[in-house]
Amino acid sequence: MLTIELEGRKIKVPEGLTVIEALWDTGHDVKRGIGCLSGLCGACTVAYLEAGAQRVRFGLGCQTVVAEGMNVIMLPYFPSRMARYDMERMTNPLQELAGHYPELTACNDCKACNICPEWIDVAGFVKTAKEGGYESTADRVMDCHMCGLCASRCPKSIAPQYVGLYIQRSCARQRPLPPNLAKRLEQMAALPADREFTQVAALNRAGLEAYCRKILDS
Amino acid sequence: MYPADLLKSLELVHSTRQRRRAESLPRLEEQQRDHLLKTYHPDYKDAAFRNLRVGANKGDRVTHELADLLESFSDLDHARINLEPEFTTDVLVLGGGGAGVTAALFAESLGARVLLATKLRLGNSNTIMALGGMQASVAEEDSPLRHFADTMVAGGFAGKAPLVKALVEDGPHIVKWLLDIGVNFDRDALGNLATKKAGGLSAPRILSIGDHTGLNIMKVLKDEMRKSGRIEILEFSPAVELTTDAAGACNGAILYDLGRRRHLAVQARAVILATGGAGRLHNQGFPTSNNFGATGDAVVLAYRAGAGIEGMDSFQYHPTGVMFPDHMVGVLVTEAIRSLGAHLVNAEGRRFVNELETRDLVAAAIIREVEGGRGVRTPSGKVGVWLDIPVLEELLEKGMLKKRFPSLFKQFRRVRIDITRRPLLIYPTLHYQNGGILIDEQSESTVNNLFVAGEAAGGIHGRNRAMGNSLLDIFVFGRRAGLAAAERRGAVPGPVTLNHLTRYYDRLKSLRISSVAKSPTLFPEFIVDKL
Ligand SMILES: Cc1cc2nc3c(=O)[nH]c(=O)nc-3n(C[C@H](O)[C@H](O)[C@H](O)COP(=O)(O)OP(=O)(O)OC[C@H]3O[C@@H](n4cnc5c(N)ncnc54)[C@H](O)[C@@H]3O)c2cc1C
Ligand code: SF4
Ligand code: SF4
Ligand code: FES
Repeated sequence: MLTIELEGRKIKVPEGLTVIEALWDTGHDVKRGIGCLSGLCGACTVAYLEAGAQRVRFGLGCQTVVAEGMNVIMLPYFPSRMARYDMERMTNPLQELAGHYPELTACNDCKACNICPEWIDVAGFVKTAKEGGYESTADRVMDCHMCGLCASRCPKSIAPQYVGLYIQRSCARQRPLPPNLAKRLEQMAALPADREFTQVAALNRAGLEAYCRKILDS
Repeated sequence: MYPADLLKSLELVHSTRQRRRAESLPRLEEQQRDHLLKTYHPDYKDAAFRNLRVGANKGDRVTHELADLLESFSDLDHARINLEPEFTTDVLVLGGGGAGVTAALFAESLGARVLLATKLRLGNSNTIMALGGMQASVAEEDSPLRHFADTMVAGGFAGKAPLVKALVEDGPHIVKWLLDIGVNFDRDALGNLATKKAGGLSAPRILSIGDHTGLNIMKVLKDEMRKSGRIEILEFSPAVELTTDAAGACNGAILYDLGRRRHLAVQARAVILATGGAGRLHNQGFPTSNNFGATGDAVVLAYRAGAGIEGMDSFQYHPTGVMFPDHMVGVLVTEAIRSLGAHLVNAEGRRFVNELETRDLVAAAIIREVEGGRGVRTPSGKVGVWLDIPVLEELLEKGMLKKRFPSLFKQFRRVRIDITRRPLLIYPTLHYQNGGILIDEQSESTVNNLFVAGEAAGGIHGRNRAMGNSLLDIFVFGRRAGLAAAERRGAVPGPVTLNHLTRYYDRLKSLRISSVAKSPTLFPEFIVDKL
């Protein structure tokens, strides 16, 4: 058994539990901060101080295993401002970025936001975004699961996760239609509506099997 | 980091790597496949099933876990509850994963008023966790017909042809829609959508976004929902019952507000059930890859309201769920790893199945190894086999794992296992419900005005879902459900009642079923069993 301080209470828990399991083990009825239980969704952010450590650390409650003397709490969802926009109506959304997220220019690269449990260099991508490196920003925010930890630390009230998402969507939107998709859509439009498929859908099982094998062998 | 025992077994994996690379395992013959499944696949363990005694599918074979839920009463005191609607809306969407949000967006696009209620936070779902990718026939050498044939074959021809037809024909259009709203599918140097081949596919057809496909689509969908501000969202409000009108058509739902701890009624002209699958029921004691809220609520709710279900005795056990460390048990290792050529290795250092067989076969083969004593045991007594991932760095290129599987790399970096150097211990994990509530091509169930989309729906995947078809089906049928539900705006919904419950309970009582289980489950009962 380990002794830890959990949600402000000193308590004994078995070794090897994650923070969430420790909460269950001690009878906490936690639901709000629980999602995938796989370290993928970002619902379960926690702050913790390890025994003897100086700095508070941040992580995911479903992946952080408790250690002797740890002091740990679950973090509530952090409110951050998000712009409202209609991407489908914009032809060049990147040009409108500053209108939607004007605070981006205020970033002074203080790096306070670099506490990402996904090891994303948040300050780095915010800086790149500010300088107009949009494609690179879009690439770097792909693993962001929107936990909001970075936003909770920004003295300039920047919500890096939403700025990143805006840029990610804009870049994708501004790329030309992929040629292979365009071709497939054309081919499909050129076929008479419902041709072969109508008959296929009406086949019995043996007919279907024969038909499918034929296609797959061709 | 691995303890000494496992490290020893790992040495064998490392030392046999070169030999294994030279080996190519033949694909199984029809007869061998059949035998493997019938002997080892959990769907064929007869003791794990029983026949339903009530409802539209009385007599059908389902798992005990599900039968327990269907043959039971709810927590709701249906005779006393206040049925005065707290909200009225045109379309009520239940579930905030990919299917639900898509349905809400398309219903709203036709001008319907939409209310979306979900169990946890919006987006908290299996959709977010989908790593590998989504099928759509966009490659030159591919076609919707091929997609159709592959899907039918994978499902053992138990899928309904008209539904599969809808799936494959809408595929390319759905991709176009996703691109239009800013989903960043991976592309090749020419700007084409990059496509990958996966187990059981006759052409490259998997579209992906790094190894975080579902997450990146879901982020965009959630963002998209905010644009009009006209979709009302109730988080932490799971549905616990549907309501019906005098004629038995669905006209709303009872939600449970987790914060205020009280029930509330919502009246609607049409309801869309998109509450996902049932992995957290832990069938037959299997670990699961599913999120915390995946307790099969849709099937319970719809069945009590009279809807037919389909194929609820067929589940997908994803072959590669993590078995070590303990707190990651059940977590998925994406199939893309196997598609690229990683080896499955037993405790004797041998490969035992062609890794590109369909999921059900690979899962059955792993269970065969473990039951045959050729598994590797962890300190807490769990047993699995090795998935030799580092071999990919040798087969393909150094550094590719970190580049192509950043989320997997990070998941294991947290527990100090470097996947570029260390194989992972795996065992099949309960991953997907192949069956569900029976729908037609408009996504409507056999109950009027009750639509179903996503993993909750049945009839599409037959007895085995091919990789990447689920991400596609949630958008295809989410869209169809949303559009069709919005068209029900004309009708005025009658008063909400729970008459169907009274009927259903009378049936249970007449059979002297007095189960203590309460359903829906909403949240799994967690027992921390590591003491
Ligand atoms: C780890 C993992 C990896 C996967 N990888 C892939 C992949 O690579 N490719 C692929 O095609 N498929 C994949 N799948 C399968 C696929 O992701 C899911 O089947 C699909 O996303 C289901 O979508 P859905 O919208 O139906 O359900 P979900 O996305 O699970 O959403 C259901 C929603 O309903 C809510 N809910 C539950 N009960 C209630 C209730 N009673 N009332 C209200 N709301 C409720 C939940 O909280 C959730 O928000 C994967 C699944 C998992 C678990
Ligand atoms: S919201 Fe911020 S801290 Fe959280 S995953 Fe995204 S970048 Fe990292
Ligand atoms: S905390 Fe805010 S101001 Fe500081 S680097 Fe990050 S985004 Fe910029
Ligand atoms: S519950 Fe999803 S990251 Fe922890």
